[in-house]
Amino acid sequence: MDTSIVELINVTREVAWLPWAVQYFFLIGLSVGGLLLSLPGYAFATTFAQEGWRRLGRLALLVALTCGLAAPVALLSDLHQPGRFWHFYVVFRPSSWMWWGSVFIPFYVTGLLVYAWACLREELQEHGRVDSRLAALYRLAALGGGRDDRLIRATGLVVLGGAALVALYTGVEVAVVKARPLWHTPILPLQFLTTALAGAAGLVLVLNRFAAGNDRGVERLANRLLAGFLGAVMLFGGLWLALGLSGIERTHAEALESVANSEAWRVTALWAVLATVVPFAIAVARPVGSGLLTGLIAVHGAWMFRWTVFIGGQTVPKTGAGFYEYALPAGPDGLLGIVGTAGLWLFLLLVITAFLPVPPDPASRPMSRPLRAMAAE
Amino acid sequence: MDRSRRNFCLGAGAVAAGAASLEPAPAAAIQARRGGDPAHRWGMVVDVRKCVGCQACTVACIMENDVPENSFRTIVSTYEVTERGKAGSTMLPRLCNHCEDAPCIPVCPTGATFQRRDGIVVVDNSVCVGCAYCVQACPYDARFINHETQTADKCTFCVHRVDAGLLPACVETCVGGARIFGDLNDPDSSVSRLVREADPKVLKPEQGTRPRVFYVGLDPKFQGKVDGTPTLWRPSAHADRAHAEKEHA
Repeated sequence: MDTSIVELINVTREVAWLPWAVQYFFLIGLSVGGLLLSLPGYAFATTFAQEGWRRLGRLALLVALTCGLAAPVALLSDLHQPGRFWHFYVVFRPSSWMWWGSVFIPFYVTGLLVYAWACLREELQEHGRVDSRLAALYRLAALGGGRDDRLIRATGLVVLGGAALVALYTGVEVAVVKARPLWHTPILPLQFLTTALAGAAGLVLVLNRFAAGNDRGVERLANRLLAGFLGAVMLFGGLWLALGLSGIERTHAEALESVANSEAWRVTALWAVLATVVPFAIAVARPVGSGLLTGLIAVHGAWMFRWTVFIGGQTVPKTGAGFYEYALPAGPDGLLGIVGTAGLWLFLLLVITAFLPVPPDPASRPMSRPLRAMAAE
Repeated sequence: MDRSRRNFCLGAGAVAAGAASLEPAPAAAIQARRGGDPAHRWGMVVDVRKCVGCQACTVACIMENDVPENSFRTIVSTYEVTERGKAGSTMLPRLCNHCEDAPCIPVCPTGATFQRRDGIVVVDNSVCVGCAYCVQACPYDARFINHETQTADKCTFCVHRVDAGLLPACVETCVGGARIFGDLNDPDSSVSRLVREADPKVLKPEQGTRPRVFYVGLDPKFQGKVDGTPTLWRPSAHADRAHAEKEHA
């Protein structure tokens, strides 16, 4: 029957999870990704004995720390009553994944700080030996010790558990929302994880250029990793699309149906494909010399995925026709929040790298044999 | 207290048999309820055939509950439907469905959202942190962040009036008698009789929320997300424009 419906009056529900939430999920994802990338060079250094992993791990640790410290600030800002955050800690609400998040986040961030301290203790000790005004402070921070591989491994394993819990809760918290078909998919936690890993590898590449000595060995390794993560992103994206198109599973079909007719969503989908395929192709074809480009695209891709999921997802009405309109406000609930969080991240990066500069690149000192071999490839 | 304003259904005969659609919530969910009188289970039946789309309920709710500008606890969604060349209007009053298995409750990380023993879902805005997880979890877009309290807000069936033995403001003001409020635990109530006899529908039954707001005469095309041309007039857009114009002036 030929029926046409025109919606004359309805209410527009504004987005309730603000760009702060996008920033939080982006930063905590990159932190978890960075942490995972740091493990082979530090906690599992005996298994991954190449120095390339260690140098990549140093940058990944920087990603994990800077993003991991900035993320909770963005999360707190997304609460409309941030001063009441302590309400999370006076109740037991196991039915809420957000409540579990309030337990996992402090555990992860504390574990990350202890693990990072254990990893960087050797550097702290070395700085403490230099004749400078801050030497005493460095010695104090090193707590009179140096490299302790057993401690690094033990703290690494603990924070790995924390990272796994954070990855689990951030994905499931959104995936359980049955009211939004776009979110209600078991693939979403995997998509969050793989895009986070790609974003973290991307940020390692960017930091390798700007905060370290543009190490070719690190660039090659990070680009290879990035290609692998982007491959996984494509795999899960393709799986979601296949489930939606085939109609095997109703929620996926509903999700696809809710956005398929929108020109804006089609452009977004094309953009997402390009932001995945292009850096993948470049990273595979030219792993050395392309790090800044692939890194920036990967970081942008991880952010854009979260923006699309959260802000885009909330513009799909649950009952009404069409889409809700969204315009990014200039104030704290919009652009200022995004810029402010980025500024906080940059501040943390400057403070940490000022206090603990990334060790000089191999070009300025004798290169280890495995790294030399990698760079020569 | 068991009627619409016009008492359309007052005195109607009752059938004692329970309706299958009124099955109770899981025991754990019932145990978690607090406040209210468990002898009652408040619910609403909306007869969309009687709704004229006057929005008197929308305004009455705003006045009664001091709902901030540009926010709505209830609204009458209005659609123009053209079928076989003939155009007509469809009105669909929307509000919190006070679901028997409300998805907004388990997600709340602080317990601010809870269900009373009489079935009314409420928000303790002195406990709510404004995380908006409940806003996401509600399949009916019935919740929003109140920017005066910065907490989650929604229809409460005018719980303060119900506790005082009064009808919700929207029911009291409905000129067409389209909104009928009453006790679903009372088999003689108008709402119980309508639920049993009028073959009402609920919104998005596939969500499994077991709403306690029922619709009589609702076209199935409007049960879920409406597949239509987007709205021509949006209160928010209008309010934003008016606000901008005021500031400009």
